[in-house]
Amino acid sequence: MELIKKVLQGDEKSAARLISIIEEGGDEGNRAISLIFPHTGRAHIIGVTGAPGSGKSTLIGKLAVSFADKGRKVGIIAVDPTSSKDNGAFLGDRLRMRNAEKTEDIFIRSMANRGYPGGIAKATAGAIYVLEALGKEIIMVETVGAGQSEIQIYSLCNTVITLLTPDCGDEIQLMKAGLIEIGDIVAINKTDNAGAEDLLANVAAYIEQHKTKSRQTRVLAIQADKGSGIENLTDALNAHFSFLNENSHGKDLKKIKLKTFMLALLKEEIWNKSLNVLTGNERFEGIVKKLEKGEIDPYAAAQMASEMTGL
Amino acid sequence: MHEKIIKVLIAKPGLDGHDRGAKVVSQALKEAGMEVIYSGLHKTIDQIIHIAIQEDVDVIGLSIMTGAHIQIVEKLMKKMKEEDIFDKTVFVGGVIPTKDVSKLKELGVAGVFPGGTPLSETIEFIKNNVKKT
Amino acid sequence: MAVARYIKDEKDRILDVILESGIHVKPSYTPDDLNRIGFDYEKDVADPGQYPFTRGIHPLGYRSRAWTTRQYTGFGSPEETNERFKLMISHGQTGLNVAFDLPTQMGYDSDHPMSEGEVGRVGMAVDTLRDFEIAFKDIQMDKVGAGLTINAVASIVLAMYQAVGEKYGYDPKTISATPQNDILKEMVGRGAWIFPVEPAVKLIGDTIEYSMTVMPRTNPVSVCGYHIRESGATPSQEIAYAILIANAYIDNVLARGYDIDAFVGRFSFNLNVFGNMWEQVAKFRAARKLWARNLKEKYNVKNQQNLFLRGLFGGGGYGLTKAQPENNIMRGAYYALVAALSGAQTTALCSYDEAYTIPTPHSALLSLRTLQILMDETGLRDTVDPLAGSYFIETLTKEMENKIEEEMEKIEKYGGMIKAVSNGYIQKLVARQAYEVEKGLETGELLKVGVNIYKEGESKEVELHEYNYESAERQIKALKQVKSRRSQRDVARTLKELETVTKEGRNVMPCLVECCKAYVTLGEMTDIFRQEFSEFQEPALF
Repeated sequence: MELIKKVLQGDEKSAARLISIIEEGGDEGNRAISLIFPHTGRAHIIGVTGAPGSGKSTLIGKLAVSFADKGRKVGIIAVDPTSSKDNGAFLGDRLRMRNAEKTEDIFIRSMANRGYPGGIAKATAGAIYVLEALGKEIIMVETVGAGQSEIQIYSLCNTVITLLTPDCGDEIQLMKAGLIEIGDIVAINKTDNAGAEDLLANVAAYIEQHKTKSRQTRVLAIQADKGSGIENLTDALNAHFSFLNENSHGKDLKKIKLKTFMLALLKEEIWNKSLNVLTGNERFEGIVKKLEKGEIDPYAAAQMASEMTGL
Repeated sequence: MHEKIIKVLIAKPGLDGHDRGAKVVSQALKEAGMEVIYSGLHKTIDQIIHIAIQEDVDVIGLSIMTGAHIQIVEKLMKKMKEEDIFDKTVFVGGVIPTKDVSKLKELGVAGVFPGGTPLSETIEFIKNNVKKT
Repeated sequence: MAVARYIKDEKDRILDVILESGIHVKPSYTPDDLNRIGFDYEKDVADPGQYPFTRGIHPLGYRSRAWTTRQYTGFGSPEETNERFKLMISHGQTGLNVAFDLPTQMGYDSDHPMSEGEVGRVGMAVDTLRDFEIAFKDIQMDKVGAGLTINAVASIVLAMYQAVGEKYGYDPKTISATPQNDILKEMVGRGAWIFPVEPAVKLIGDTIEYSMTVMPRTNPVSVCGYHIRESGATPSQEIAYAILIANAYIDNVLARGYDIDAFVGRFSFNLNVFGNMWEQVAKFRAARKLWARNLKEKYNVKNQQNLFLRGLFGGGGYGLTKAQPENNIMRGAYYALVAALSGAQTTALCSYDEAYTIPTPHSALLSLRTLQILMDETGLRDTVDPLAGSYFIETLTKEMENKIEEEMEKIEKYGGMIKAVSNGYIQKLVARQAYEVEKGLETGELLKVGVNIYKEGESKEVELHEYNYESAERQIKALKQVKSRRSQRDVARTLKELETVTKEGRNVMPCLVECCKAYVTLGEMTDIFRQEFSEFQEPALF
């Protein structure tokens, strides 16, 4: 593909176009991914997750500039939710990365999740591959920010930063939500707000209790909008990446994550295929009617429907 | 296979800070099912083009309130030529006298929607005039 | 702009009226309504000139003095501005209201790339003291005050005003400037911001502190509910946010150890008049009361004079239409009526051809005559607060008071005005409301003559001023000349001093005056601030 060649040469316009093709999906999109995939695998993929309003965009903007100042080539993918009501989306994250926008060598791409679950868009992985092929060494992904459901980010990234703030709610809820489990680094933002110290202490204690030999989550305090703690964070990110690359466990983890992500895609595939089979199918409609009349229970109905898919 | 989703950049070029119209249009386009990026205030043409390229938008909408629309569009079109991105549709809104509309269209603007244009009109226009397929 | 929501039956009879602030208007009002709200004349309203000033800040109102009219001036070059100043004064205007071009407002010199196509377009271009020298030549600066529509770089422009006053032999204590100087509203509704919230508020505190001693006739802050209203805020939000913004500036100065009575009396407000007529009058009455109460109860202001809500009630920009523009002349007359019924001390009207550029002399004159006719021919000067005692107006005033307080509480609950503006809470809210209004206009739920009803009529084309390339060129040439003739040593010295003072967090004003006198450019001074403060980061939008 002509486009792929240009991307490998560093052409931004082609990279942007290629990401769009992947977003549109279908055969062309899949082919593009196959062609670009061989050029990936070396970049540091950093995911940033956290509740809406926790400061993800601000943080990513600051990190990007910090890395770029040190000569690193950075890409950013910011994912926002598509409205289920009207199918439209505001892609408002890059507005908050003013300085990153002005910096050469930082490529920012916004994506709507188009209903895809897990905090990212279906095409996010493809977009990451494209940015890698474009020559970006560090690629940061900002998730939608819905919280608990954002597990896909874990399998997509080398390092995940979980961003918490003092007003983000009950800490017990956070722990239950597994947010802390996902993060390789937990960053406490907006430390000038009340409750920051307590949050920091509680999270640190929780992590201490749950740490294992292979999982050593770090906790850091930052104030993204003021730029404080950013240096510490970039150091921690670099350290984590080195650790992953030098450690055999790190290499295993990469394989596990690849499979996990593939399984998530597979799940979508199977679901979509099943839906195709069932939608408009008379027998399926029949099952649904029986369910609605109360003649069968939901579990039995689901069982019958799944048998129809032939799997 | 659903209809292709339209991606729009609503941009505020230059120093003017009146963004009520740009924000209203952004909300309308989003509710019409489009993916909308708002550039924020005080953007240069270079910055706007930069965003349009990286985001591979289908449409660029400029909101201009100060009367400098001809100059701004001339600059934009020059840059679009340099970057070869004429597959993107350009429309202009804001304070635009009727007598300037033909000049703007000559320069390459596909549609002009001065303040007071019904939002539905702008939405229809975009849906019918997106170049990229 | 369309006003209330009307619920009508199929015979076009009004079943309900819902004002923008959310208040429902009944078919008629009686003494029962006054009882219902617990109306107490002394407590709720009182005589004009008596706390809480609901009826007005002065016992005699317009009987003592007609309102001050301020129409925009400030045109392209300093020379043209000077001419326009003299013209308006000869027509009877009693105060100057100066507009600046966008590069000036945004802290760029006329020769900066960002200024291209904007030099002198929407107002006067100011690069150095030389421009002010030309603009204010032969103007009696101790007799005519100047409203300066400047915000992000108000400190610089105020310093320049002092410098030019001194140059023409006026003692700074005798000249009167009213810089708009309200940065928080810029972030919400006007967009001419440069620096982040905290340093921007600090600069405002500097101007207030400085003016207390050096230029005591300065009205250092004009808190603008106006633009917030233009961006989509309801009338009750307009007042709520204005009071909270004023409080944010007050808090900054109090933190420096000053007594509130020493400065708050010179705060003024810039409030909008478009909307439902009754809601507006009730709004202004409630605003006077709430501002006075805010100062007395929250800040313990002792001097009665300092409790006055002084302000410019006027404008009405969003209410005007492009369709059938001559209709805007009538709208202007109605808005002027609202301002007069509300007891405005100062007023200005958007001209009928207003389109974000400055009005033609003809349309500016029409606006001025509208205001003069109202004051001198129709009886608006006869008595103070003529609507007082009306069952409707007193009830509505009380209800507006409640609504305004509700809006204030919402912000306090969020974490305060500064947080709300920095995080974009208010911006998001008003943008959403603006969108709902637009939808309402399109469905016809909100009525607008010439736009969605009574559309037959000539739609005269709005004439925009042609950009004056020659004038811009001359300005840039003049700037070059000033730069070549000034003392480079003085420039370097005063700029260095400004840098130090800014770094150390001291009051920048004395230094700015010295910079102006050395013909340091506006852009050079702003760059120091940009370097030290960095730039405002627009918050999340939707």
